[in-house]
Formats: sequence, structure tokens, C-alpha cells
Amino acid sequence: MTTVDRRPDSSTTAPDADASPGTASARLPGRSLLRIGPVSLQVRRRAVLVAAALIVLLLLAVVLSLSLGTPYVAPADVLRALSGAGTPYDLVVFDLRLPRIVLAAVAGAAFGVAGTLIQSVARNPLASPDVIGITQGAGLAATVALTSGAAAVLVAPTALVGGLLAAVLLFALGARHGLAAQRFVLAGVAVAFAFRALTEVVMLTADPIDGLRAQIWLIGTLAGKGWTEAAWIAGTLLVLLPVLAWAGWALNSTALDDDTARGVGLRPVARRIGLAGTGVLVAAMVTAQVGAVDFVALVAPQVARRLVRAERPPLVCAALLGALLLVLADLAGRRLFAPTQLPAGVLTAAIGGPYLIFLLLRGRRRSS
Amino acid sequence: MTTLAIRPAPARSRSGTRTGRRVAVTVGAALVLLLTVLASFALGSRQLGVDQVWNALVAPDGGDASTIVRELRVPRTALGLAVGLALAVAGVLFQALTRNPLAEPRILGISAGASFGVVLAISVFGVGTLAGYVWFGIAGALLAGLLVFAIASRAREGASPVTLALVGAALDASLASGVYALLSIDARTFEEYRFWVVGGLAGRDLSVTAQVLPFVLAGLVLAALVARGLDALALGDDVARGLGNRVGLVRLGGGLAAVLLTGAAVAAAGPVAFVGLAVPHLARALVGADHRWTLAVSALLGPALLLGADVVGRLVAPPGEIPAGIVTALIGAPLLAVLVRRARVVTA
Repeated sequence: MTTVDRRPDSSTTAPDADASPGTASARLPGRSLLRIGPVSLQVRRRAVLVAAALIVLLLLAVVLSLSLGTPYVAPADVLRALSGAGTPYDLVVFDLRLPRIVLAAVAGAAFGVAGTLIQSVARNPLASPDVIGITQGAGLAATVALTSGAAAVLVAPTALVGGLLAAVLLFALGARHGLAAQRFVLAGVAVAFAFRALTEVVMLTADPIDGLRAQIWLIGTLAGKGWTEAAWIAGTLLVLLPVLAWAGWALNSTALDDDTARGVGLRPVARRIGLAGTGVLVAAMVTAQVGAVDFVALVAPQVARRLVRAERPPLVCAALLGALLLVLADLAGRRLFAPTQLPAGVLTAAIGGPYLIFLLLRGRRRSS
Repeated sequence: MTTLAIRPAPARSRSGTRTGRRVAVTVGAALVLLLTVLASFALGSRQLGVDQVWNALVAPDGGDASTIVRELRVPRTALGLAVGLALAVAGVLFQALTRNPLAEPRILGISAGASFGVVLAISVFGVGTLAGYVWFGIAGALLAGLLVFAIASRAREGASPVTLALVGAALDASLASGVYALLSIDARTFEEYRFWVVGGLAGRDLSVTAQVLPFVLAGLVLAALVARGLDALALGDDVARGLGNRVGLVRLGGGLAAVLLTGAAVAAAGPVAFVGLAVPHLARALVGADHRWTLAVSALLGPALLLGADVVGRLVAPPGEIPAGIVTALIGAPLLAVLVRRARVVTA
């Protein structure tokens, strides 16, 4: 591990200290030092390449998703409509398809972020919002709202409260011993199972029609959702942006054991609580808005880690990958069995699962 | 209770206390299981006395009581014993093989494999009986298990615990979405599948238990054979090899046992969650990380938890029932939470 100390002052003694601002110079294998004025950052070159490729793919996927469907809109017309030229397709592109696709991208990115944070704190690739109970907390609250005849606009806020309640419970149970990885995960499992069982009890006693609506919510679908939901998620991510920037750097220390971390002057417990808190906050918000779309939070960080060949899931690439995955899953759900629509939550696994397996089979063995 | 192992004490007396404690825990677990079995015979929408149960078992008189016990409650209890035992032991094996405290039948794709098999049986092969589903469930679980281990062993990162867990999770999610896709485009299959998937322990007769019993027994024997190897595996592959263990063989045997046990349990009772995940943690907190003891105690506590949950499910909402799978989580989750807060967490 070479990532312990990245504070700017450590670079002053380096031979390339006279490099001019803004230039990149190699310091560690595969990394460049980026300086803008007083700030300097080590950048993993492969991560930048992967991120750039993911952005291109994401844009392609968005255009593809905008053009496919009934009616079909040629990609050229999509681009013309997007550039504001005023085409006959404006209604289809802007009002019908774009809101849902933007929501898919934003929600996917949020799942990727939440998954990365939670997996890193838990030090467990299987940990994700639906393993540690956040999804189930939101699910229980949403089920209660949907089966008790509450107004539709109340479902998302109720689900948010449920997810946050689950988070509070999780921290109350797991934080006693400094939120150590193993305890954090197991406390989450207990919370998850309790909430899931309560959800099933509510479902058993509910009217079948309401139960069906709750079931669809639990699987997670983007149908009929758009700008409002996307705005909530994007707003959360924007408000948390400074925290996320800190997280991207602080995540490096999650692999250290507590004594080593303290030895180099870090406060591991405070860090874990900050990182996990951010993760569950994002997870609760996105789940409340789009439902329990599984697997994106699990698979995006792991695939991103393997693409970047890093020791831990990279935050930015995981977010981009989550966005790409959910846009593709939603597209496949709309078109694969048309006119039957499958919820995006079903297709994320069908696309992400085989790809992760492919990567595991092809991934290069790392020696470090 | 957990300070015993931590408190400094002379080595000999400490190991003596530990063995004594382990024996006591095992005997206690056996007693709990015995009581739950009795309760499962006696309690339900019609309460029976111990004497009535005894008469029905040894000298059936053809009356209401003997019919209820022999036709309804004995088959149900037998199934609960087999399924609870299989799931708990499989959970210990999965957690040891993947070195991941989150590992359970669902996480490794075996459950989803069984579900996929059953859905195919209904929709493609037109099978309409529970006994027919069971074969497809077992076949699906076995195939999914083979696939997980085959893919994990070919992965470039090697068949490491992390690879195994990730491949399992990926396969599980893929199969689950396959199941969902098939169900959502075929309403008739959905109707029949629903019965299997929510069935729990109710409505399955003795022939189902008899069908899966050979698989459970084979899995148990294999698990007993690899128990010591699992202890070595917990130290890491290299150390285990250095101690003279054949890591590949232990992993293969343990994996096969886990797949057989899970396949049998899920095929018979549908995907019952939580037992396979929580019982191993309870057992380890009670007797430590020695796999021979963990396996033994899990084999006793697993059926006790499942049967206890089944009995509670019969009693709380008469005349209806709450499926055992739900009650299991409602009882077990607080137990796991207390464990996380109080005791030291011992992981495989």
C-alpha cells in the first residue's frame, strides 16, 4: 500500500518539486501528480482513462435510450432535438424519455457512491445498502404507506424516514465498538432481516392490490418517475459534494487496521462513522426515490475496482459505472420484452452479474 | 459468559473449562431442540396435552388427536428438522469456505438455482406436483453450485474466498432476475410457483422429506469429514497447506456438502432465509470457532430455531398462520443484534 500519505507537503522534498503548476509528472508507477496552485493531487492515470471511457459510454447509452422505443427516433434527430433545434420529436425526447433516463443515470450514480462507501467501511465486497438494512427500512415504510392508502406523494418521504431509521438502528447496534467492520456488517444483517420480515407481515395482512403495488415498489422501477425524483437525488449528492470529495480521499485509509491508522495520525473511528454515515444517507435517499433497485450498489464498485486495477473501489468510476448500468438496465427493461415492461431492478442483475463474472475470469492477477 | 475464554488462566484448566463449556452448550442445545419438537407435536390451532401426543405416537387410536399428530404435525416436524439442520450446517460451510460472515445459501446462488429449477419445471416441463418440483429444485441447486465453483476456480484471481463470494452473488442475482422475468411473462407459472415459494413447512407430507433425506445425510457426512480441514482453511490457504492440508480437496468436499444440503432444503421448503446466516454466528459465539463444535451446535440450533418459529407462526394469528420463514427472522434478528452488541464476534 502506497496510498497512506498524500498530503501536499510531502511533495516539497521530491526531485520534481520545481514542476510548473498544472503539469503532471510521474511519481509512483501508474500515477501522476497534478498541481493547481497550492493544491496537488496524485492521480491514477488508469482511473482517468477508465472514467473518460465510462463517460463516453454513458453518453452513448443515453442517446441510444433516447432513440429506442415507440416511436423510434433516429440518433441524429435525438442530437438535433438535444441541441435545441426544435424538431417534431421534442415531445418524445424531452418530455417522455429524457426525465426517466436522467433519473436512471443519477440514481445509478448514487447507488455506486453508496455501495463504494459501505463496502469500504465494511471491508466486505458483499456489503451494500440491501445487505445492511437501509433498503429494507425504506421498503417497510413504503409498504406501510402504500397499503394504508396514504397519498402517493407521501410514499417517498415516508420511505426516506424508514431508511434513516434503519440507519440509526444500525449505528446504535454497531457503533459501540468503534463501528468495526465485522460488527457493522452483522448489525446491518440483523436490521435487514427484521425489517424484511416486518414488511412481509404487513404484506400478508394487506389488500392484494395494495400488496402488488408494494411488491413493484420493492423491486424498484423507474416507470412513471422523472425530474422530481432525479432532483431529490442530485440535490442530495450536490449538498454532500464536499463530504464526497473528502470521502474519495479518506477511503484510502479504510484498508488500514486501527492501530496503524492511529500511528500515522488518523482518527479511524471518526472516519468510518463519517464514511458510513454518508453512504447510508445517499442510499436512503436514492432508495426512497426509485425503490429497492438491487445489485447496482454491489456490482458497480467491484467492477470499477477491477477496471481501474485498484486496491479498493474507486468512488468516481463506481458512480459512473452505476449510472451506465442503470441506464442500460432501464433501456433493456423497456425494450426487451416490449410491450411488456420489466422493472429496471430486475435487469440490473441480468446485465451486471454476467459482466462481473466475465471480469473475474479475465481480470489480470495482481501481485501487490 | 464470553469472558471465560478471555480471562487469563493456566493453559490446562482453561482448555478443560472450554471443553466442559462446549459439552454443556451442546447438551443445552439438544434439550432446546427436544422441547421444540415436543411443542411442534402438541401446539397448533388445536392444543394437545403431552399424554395425548404420547398416545398418538405409540398407540394411535384413530381419534382426532392421533390423526392430527400423525398426519399433520409429525410430517411437518420431520421436514422442519431436516430443513433447519441442512440450512444451518450449510451456512457454517459457506461462511468457512468464503471466509465471509455474510455468506449464506442465498449469497452463493444455490437458492436461486433451486428456484430457477422449479420455475423451469412448471413453465417448460409442465410438472404440477410438489414431489416433482423437488427433483428440479435439487438439480437446479446442484447446477448452480457447480457453476459457482467452476467459475470461481477458473478466475484469474484464483478461487479465493472473495472470488467465490462475488461469483455467487453475481450468479444469484442473475438467476433471480431470470426467475422474475419468466414469472412476469407467464401468469400461470406464477400462480403455481407462489405456492412453492411461500410454502414453508406447511402442506408438505412425509414423502417430500423422504425424497430429500438422502441428500441431507450425504451432505452431513461430507461436512463431518471436512470439519478439521475447515479449521485450517480459516488460517489462510498458505498456512493450511503448510500444515499438511489439501486445500483443494477440503474446499471441494465442503462445497459439495453445502450444495447438497442447501439444494435439499430449498427444494423441499422453498427459500427459507436467515437460518443459514444467523445460526452459525450464534453457534460460534457459544462454542468458539472450532468447526467440529460449531457444526454440531448449529445442527441442533438450526432445526430448533426453524421449528420454534413454525410453532409461533401457528399460534399468533389463528386461524391463519404466519410462514416459518418470516417468524424465523422476527425471532432471530433481535437475537443476532444482541449478539453483535454483547458478545465478541467470532468469524470463520
